[in-house]
Amino acid sequence: MFKLNLKIALRNLWKNKGITAINVGGLAIALAAFILLMMYATYETSFDKENPNYDRIYAVGIAYPEFKTNYVAAPFAKAIKQNFPEVELAGLVKGSSFELVIKNGKNTIFTNNILQADYHAAKILNIQPNGGLQKPSGDAQRLTYLSEENMRVLFPNKNDHKPEMVGFGASNSGITGIIDGSIKKNVQSNFNFDGISIGNEFGGSDNYDMNDYTIYLQVKPETDVIKLSQKITDLYRAELLKSSGSKKTIDEVKGIATFLDPLSNLHLRPKAGNNGPYKVLIALSILGVLMLVIACINFTNLSIAQAAKRAKEVGIKKVLGAYRFQLTIQFLLEIFMQCMTATILALILAELVLPSFNNLFQVKLAIWSFGNDLLLQLPLIVCIITVVAGTYPALVLAGFKPALVLKGNFSTSKQSSWLRSGLLIFQFSIAVVFIIGLFIINSQLKYMQNEDLGFTPNQVVYIKNISFFNQPVKFEPVRDKILKVPGVQSATVASFIPDGKASGINNYTANGISANIDFVDVDFDYFETLDIKLREGRFFTGDFKTDTANSAIINESAVAKYGLKNPIGKIIRGCEINYKIVGVIKDFKSQGFENSVQPTIYMIKDPCSNFKTQIMLKVDRRQMASALATLKAKWPEINPLDGEDFRYEFLDELYGKLFKKQEQLQSVFFAAAILTIFIAGLGLFAFAKYITNGRMKEIAIRKILGATDLQVLKLINTSFFVMVVIANLLSWPLAYILTKKWLKTFAYSIDIPMMPFILSTLITIVLTLFTVSLQARKAAKANPVDALKHE
Amino acid sequence: MIELKNIEKYYANKGVKSYILRHVTTSIKQGEFVSIMGPSGAGKSTLLNILGMLEEATYGEYHFMGEDVTAMNERKRIELYRNHIGFVFQAYHLIDEMTVAENIEAPLLYKKIPGAERKSRIADVLDRFNMVAKKDLFPNQLSGGQQQLVGIARALVAQPSIILADEPTGNLQSAQSEQIMDLFRKLNQEENITILQVTHSEKNAQFGNRILTIEDGVIKEDVSVSK
Repeated sequence: MFKLNLKIALRNLWKNKGITAINVGGLAIALAAFILLMMYATYETSFDKENPNYDRIYAVGIAYPEFKTNYVAAPFAKAIKQNFPEVELAGLVKGSSFELVIKNGKNTIFTNNILQADYHAAKILNIQPNGGLQKPSGDAQRLTYLSEENMRVLFPNKNDHKPEMVGFGASNSGITGIIDGSIKKNVQSNFNFDGISIGNEFGGSDNYDMNDYTIYLQVKPETDVIKLSQKITDLYRAELLKSSGSKKTIDEVKGIATFLDPLSNLHLRPKAGNNGPYKVLIALSILGVLMLVIACINFTNLSIAQAAKRAKEVGIKKVLGAYRFQLTIQFLLEIFMQCMTATILALILAELVLPSFNNLFQVKLAIWSFGNDLLLQLPLIVCIITVVAGTYPALVLAGFKPALVLKGNFSTSKQSSWLRSGLLIFQFSIAVVFIIGLFIINSQLKYMQNEDLGFTPNQVVYIKNISFFNQPVKFEPVRDKILKVPGVQSATVASFIPDGKASGINNYTANGISANIDFVDVDFDYFETLDIKLREGRFFTGDFKTDTANSAIINESAVAKYGLKNPIGKIIRGCEINYKIVGVIKDFKSQGFENSVQPTIYMIKDPCSNFKTQIMLKVDRRQMASALATLKAKWPEINPLDGEDFRYEFLDELYGKLFKKQEQLQSVFFAAAILTIFIAGLGLFAFAKYITNGRMKEIAIRKILGATDLQVLKLINTSFFVMVVIANLLSWPLAYILTKKWLKTFAYSIDIPMMPFILSTLITIVLTLFTVSLQARKAAKANPVDALKHE
Repeated sequence: MIELKNIEKYYANKGVKSYILRHVTTSIKQGEFVSIMGPSGAGKSTLLNILGMLEEATYGEYHFMGEDVTAMNERKRIELYRNHIGFVFQAYHLIDEMTVAENIEAPLLYKKIPGAERKSRIADVLDRFNMVAKKDLFPNQLSGGQQQLVGIARALVAQPSIILADEPTGNLQSAQSEQIMDLFRKLNQEENITILQVTHSEKNAQFGNRILTIEDGVIKEDVSVSK
């Protein structure tokens, strides 16, 4: 019996090739999208999952009244470990923000991120250098490991794990060090590094004012983390009050709390950071599921539409003695077969699209990789789809009454038509939401590309450098030499560049208000190089001796933060210096569009300074190439301390990376919108075909009664038109809410425009009328006699 | 074999009952060949549907082989379809996606007859109807008469005790029609299969041995056919 049913199923599917193709093809496309998005979601959510203690690892963060951070003072780690027995291990980690050149003879690598971790942190974070994790001896020893890739560049012929001697910085710097081995890079980890340096103890002499480490805790199983977190907060407050380094009052301390952020949160939604990536991931997952739902709806709709054709078969089989459940199973099997085919097609499709998908998201996903859960889940997904998409049609089909069906004048069951219309409306609503979303994402991205940033990153060349230019006198000769290069208009050095990354934060007091604000240590010509606009006062110039001693420039946000009226000449105190404000600049979006402009202070002299190493030049566009060539040739002479390797980037490209995530979202949304419209369109096409076929007789009679072709077209289009309009009306509020939510993740965003709503309506209406008319035209053109002869 | 007592069938529409069948009381014995006749809309097909349990009577008693049909559940009814009742339709109602042989095989599958026996029974029936050469054709490759032969073969292969036929020759030319009727008579006489047919044709009715005439839902005449 199974064999016969299989045969009938195949013959039936073959007979309705078109609809079968639409059914299977639509499902395959949606499944492929679903597979890709799910793989991506799994990838993103399983960062560091290889860590055996994944669930028991927390980062310690501090919540100040103004912001949250993971930067904590080193001694606190020890304090936590000593006070709380439930903490198994407490470790310290520190990233490095500047570039380090490592040389072995002629072989050179540039590392951007040498992670420093103490031995405990290395154990917590499961850091395994090749050859195993060693405990450094004594307080001073650091065990340094470089990533395998870097190791291969430095020592191409090395095969063992023996330590090697390398030079740091320029070859004339004379600084050498030992590399103890290599370590495998794990891109699917929060702790990504070019190399790692492991020591026994860090920050032994630090005090509580020096917040430059991140503390990781590994707690014992079944620890009450909420309680622990509360206890750590109490401890932190007590330590702050005890500490000589921080002169905080009790009131200030009370405003500070600590929090524990689980390892699983760190990649997508760190408490000290934004959870944008997490939201995007959720959105993508929903997208994947929705596409699948739409395809399932197609399936259900088309299967019911096909029902009339199968009605006779059902009637006969029942009369021959088939049980209802036998028929149900038969139809479910048929649908299962289609799902299987769709799944195989989907896997092929996904495999084809995977390279560009990986490229877009900058990941390396593979479908056939070992240990991929997906392959185990797929059969389950197929079964679920079969049940979801197939149950209703199978029941409808199996439920036909033979007496009605076999009389021959069986007309399509009216009962299910509201359901089919409902499903169609649902499909179109989702498609409309996607279209509107796509338009609004586009507008926001366009806005971000065209909006005045407040500074001009174009034509600014950022030169990487590791020698310090903290005093302007030191940079003076370098600048003179740089400016001699034709095409270079200005040159400056600063502690941070406006590439979207956070600047340093320190405490400053003005107007009686104390607040943590961003600071940037700059040199002359900083504002001129970046073309930042002045609101009042002046920029730094060599004409004023005080500029290198205690002058500061603040931005508008800082003025607002401190509530300063007539800020010029006012004093702002920080780092034991009373700065005199000499200028106020207009806010500029140094950190992109997602974060609002932070109150920021700029000064030349800063005893708490970060190192001024980042050189920026403004270069005339026409002479860019020659200027860069000259700079490269002369760099050893210009910057004798770090002149061997001239490394540069364009600031606008660096800043452009801020848009990367949004552009990914745009691409995915574009694909999703097109796919849903396509799938919904397929569904509509088949549905229209079915409806038209069902109304052939009615159309024929109307034509005999004198209806024109146009009237017939109108007749069939009307119900679809109404459905599309309803779908649009339903999806407008939803799209509005969702896009509003998305726009809220930006500090600077567009107002929601009307245009996308109107456009999406027009698009769907035109598409619908076109699709339906294709079918209706056939009916209108047909000879009425043919339709009526059948009865 | 069949006992009908006071069968009524009506549709109530806004309180007005429109009767299809009224006070139908009759009995049909094993081995009879009954033709139901009457004008269009008289209720012939409805009566046949009720007899075939495709429709339920609004009122009245119906015993099939001594069992009360009105109290029967679906499963039991399907058992009757499998083992005792064969249907033949005016529009043949073969399954278009199945070949001749597969169409004939279908009822045997539901009866759970083993494969070897199925094969021999199908071969037997095909042979008897001279259709061996056509066994792998699809219904739309056959003429109307041939399709109806397949329809009868399908009804017969399950070895039913009664065949219900709704205008079996309604779509056929007279020569084919006669062939089918001959077949029915042979089945009735040689294999003692009860046959119940609805027909418009006086000539076809003569093949049987009893004629029930229905007019406006009421049995007007019940006569034996004299040979």
